[in-house]
Amino acid sequence: MNKSDFSIFAQHPQLVYLDSAATSQKPKVVLEAIQKYYTEMNANIHRSAHFLAESATIAYEATRKTVANFIKAKHKHEIIFTRNATEAINLVARSWGETFLKAGDEILLSKLEHHSNLVPWLQLKEKIGIKIKYLDIDEVGQLIFDGSQITEKTKFVSLTGMSNSLGAITNLKPIIKRAHEVGAKVMIDACQLAVHSPIDIQELDADFLAFSAHKLYGPTGVGVLYGKAELLEKMPPFLGGGEMIQQVFEDHFVAGDIPNKFEAGTPNIAGVVAFKAALDYVNQIGFETIQKQETSLSEYALEKLKTLPYLTLIGPQEVENRGSITSFTMDKVHPHDIAEGLSQKQICIRAGHHCTQPLMDYWKLPATARASFAFYNEKEDVDRLVEGLEEVYQYFS
Amino acid sequence: MDIYAQNILDRYKKPFYKSLELGVGSLKRDKDPQPQADSYQLAKRKEANHSCGDVVEVGLEFQDEKLKQYQFSGNGCAISMAASDMLGDLTEDMTADEILAITKEEIYEILGIEISIRRSKCALLGLLALQNAILESRDEKLRGWKDYHI
Repeated sequence: MNKSDFSIFAQHPQLVYLDSAATSQKPKVVLEAIQKYYTEMNANIHRSAHFLAESATIAYEATRKTVANFIKAKHKHEIIFTRNATEAINLVARSWGETFLKAGDEILLSKLEHHSNLVPWLQLKEKIGIKIKYLDIDEVGQLIFDGSQITEKTKFVSLTGMSNSLGAITNLKPIIKRAHEVGAKVMIDACQLAVHSPIDIQELDADFLAFSAHKLYGPTGVGVLYGKAELLEKMPPFLGGGEMIQQVFEDHFVAGDIPNKFEAGTPNIAGVVAFKAALDYVNQIGFETIQKQETSLSEYALEKLKTLPYLTLIGPQEVENRGSITSFTMDKVHPHDIAEGLSQKQICIRAGHHCTQPLMDYWKLPATARASFAFYNEKEDVDRLVEGLEEVYQYFS
Repeated sequence: MDIYAQNILDRYKKPFYKSLELGVGSLKRDKDPQPQADSYQLAKRKEANHSCGDVVEVGLEFQDEKLKQYQFSGNGCAISMAASDMLGDLTEDMTADEILAITKEEIYEILGIEISIRRSKCALLGLLALQNAILESRDEKLRGWKDYHI
């Protein structure tokens, strides 16, 4: 229905793109925004006193305002631009974690987490000796939480809002509420959630939230960190350099105010500027339409994939509490071979551990095949996937 | 659909050298059941391609400095399994130094299909395990993917 908004489908008319959870395709408005930025206003922001720098700064800051509105943040200075969501999580682990956590403090993660929400905490464990606990998952990949997993010892909770491997959507509110009762802070990895569901950070009340532009129809190289202002203000800078300072002397420096304090060096200006076009595009279509289309695709895909006796669906089996991500394995055929066969038919899926090795270990699987749908996909794409899977299975039997 | 050449598919489905249980102590010794310690050398090594979860473990028996027994076990895609199996033919009676000199191009040649960048680790996982088995037994520096320039 919206394929004509995306140039790549004109370039590859046979393309069935089912890897949007890795990165989404980019609408023409985003490509045009990048071109427009470099053509009409390229200059470094926040510094040079000339009219181009003024235009570039205004455009860059306009995205910050749009992002703040997108998640209903109170203030635009609660939005920090990073290179990607991984950097946003690292920023919190290093800056907040190293300042406010000490040896023996417990943090709570889950078995669903992406490596980017595991490794920064494991690094912190190595560095200062925090303890890491994990929320378990049930047989369909939903988090098990009854309140008892958060105790007085818990100082920080960092969870995904939606599993990139399985599509399971986390019921965040009770966890965040319980964490706040014991005084713990909470970060949400919203990389997948932000693409499929509106986020109201006031209602959710998470202290930090991270997501990336490139999964949200924007350019690569732009990540977003939301943090409550009172927390960000108390945190030391993550990277040092230009832009993030007020004053620099030979023996010390004075950090700038938020958000600049956390944006050292020249950022991805064109990327940030073009990200506004992506969010405007998403807002114009609206999450109601996006969710309707994605749920209908998920429902159709689950129904069709369940008819293939040699497939095993991994994760949620129904459309409730899930996003449009479907992971599966095929009897006697390795996921890489499935992906290779499908690729020959211009069907793009992901095969591998999806940067969730502990989760794969939990399921005792080396890898899965993953089809992820965006609102630009159509039922015909599901049909092509099913035909392709049948051919792959025949080929290997 | 024609994903891979027939030789790869054949080797994937019916490997010659694949063993479910691999342990140096349990390797079959079809020639000399009571080897002289100085004429026999055993080596074993497991390598994984962490980007896709493929694992290959090789077990080697050298006699009089030549490879007499090659076995592997593992879990992976058709290319990684077929390439690991074909190594058994390629390395028969080779010396350890000859095995260490095997290049990625030779592996690509015996596979007989074009290996894309995204599948290069699949094609070379067995070779990595094989060469590192020897290097480890000699206490020498192990190879990594960068040593194959991929």
